[in-house]
Amino acid sequence: MKSPFPSQAVAVFLRDARRELRRRTTLAAVLFFAAAALILISFSLASVALPPGDRAKLNAGVLWILLFFSASSGLPRSFVREEESGTALALRKIARGEAVLAGKFLFNFLLFLAIAAVAVPLFCLLQTWSPANPWTLTIVLLLSGYGVSFVSTFLSAIVSRAGQKDILFVLTALPLLMPLLLPAVEATARAAADPAFAAIDPVWKVLLSYDGLATVGGMVLMRFVWEG
Amino acid sequence: MPRFEATKLAKAFDGPPIFRDVSLEAERGLVAVTGRNGSGKSTLLKIFAGLMRPSRGSVALWRDGAKLPENDRAHEIGFASPELEFIDELTATENLSLLSRAAGRPAAARGIGELLDAFGLARPAHGRRVGEFSSGMKQRVRLAFSLLLDPPVLLWDEPYSNLDTHGIDAARTIMNARRETGLVILATNDRRDIEDADDEVSLS
Repeated sequence: MKSPFPSQAVAVFLRDARRELRRRTTLAAVLFFAAAALILISFSLASVALPPGDRAKLNAGVLWILLFFSASSGLPRSFVREEESGTALALRKIARGEAVLAGKFLFNFLLFLAIAAVAVPLFCLLQTWSPANPWTLTIVLLLSGYGVSFVSTFLSAIVSRAGQKDILFVLTALPLLMPLLLPAVEATARAAADPAFAAIDPVWKVLLSYDGLATVGGMVLMRFVWEG
Repeated sequence: MPRFEATKLAKAFDGPPIFRDVSLEAERGLVAVTGRNGSGKSTLLKIFAGLMRPSRGSVALWRDGAKLPENDRAHEIGFASPELEFIDELTATENLSLLSRAAGRPAAARGIGELLDAFGLARPAHGRRVGEFSSGMKQRVRLAFSLLLDPPVLLWDEPYSNLDTHGIDAARTIMNARRETGLVILATNDRRDIEDADDEVSLS
């Protein structure tokens, strides 16, 4: 009997998760990148004197630069690694593209959350920055992280069989992710400055809409990307 | 029993076609795809398997007079090739188990064990990481992968690559059993298989 779609996606996720747990290269690379960037940012911003309102905006922008580029060092690897190691052929023979996309997205989303769980508290500590409402900030990070992870995973599938993968990923990811990153920075600054949930209204709806559209678009197009 | 049908296939990359007008219709038995190196045997098998699109022509699988949709066709055709690789950090059993789950047809660990046994992969190796395997052991996992969903059509590209005599005998035994109940298509230049085949597609 055929098992349902979520079970197929979980199997793809477990392949990636077990490989990563036994090898730990991706996690180590992104956390090292985040730690190095965090230290550089802390040293360079320590002596900058700014009014509190401007400090919140600057911190929000810098935090997203940190999160986006840390994630960019790991997220595009999901499909690229399958192609480079030759393991994509077995997966392509047997699994539906949509299930593969969902499973790999799940892995990447958890990777993004792991980066955020380490980088955001450390960033706040080193910048002596305490967000007015950590829960609102968490919602912003979840909504934005979903979009960053999904679009990065989908783009990874597209570029994995092309030449010049790394540069192609950056060139396609930036314009596609800009409509997400700009409201994410705005919502982060608002969540840091104002304890009320209303402070991130209506930006959170923009983030949610982006996530929904990206998911539907990616799932519809994945069949063509996967089958080539 | 599904009927396999390939009609007027041609494939070109950047240049003239490497083959053209290749057709095959078969329901059961053994078909040998032959040809010199570079004649397109592996490419043809990938097209048969749905892993590559032909430049011209079509591949179909018919059951009870109805053409199977592409998604269903993929699970009716097993595929083994030296190009197949498995995740080095996972064991042979984990690789096959997770692939069968990803296909939506989870295979029991016992079934996977029996499959690996059939191709002569020793029991202690089932739980070892594929990255530690020799090339012959990896070939046994590839052949086991092709039977994972118990498909009626088998496509084997150079199935004896890196196998010792015991492995070749095991593969031949399974091939002879499967050709009685379904269709086996081999890309091979092995004289014994060519002489033994019910049909031949020559790409030379």
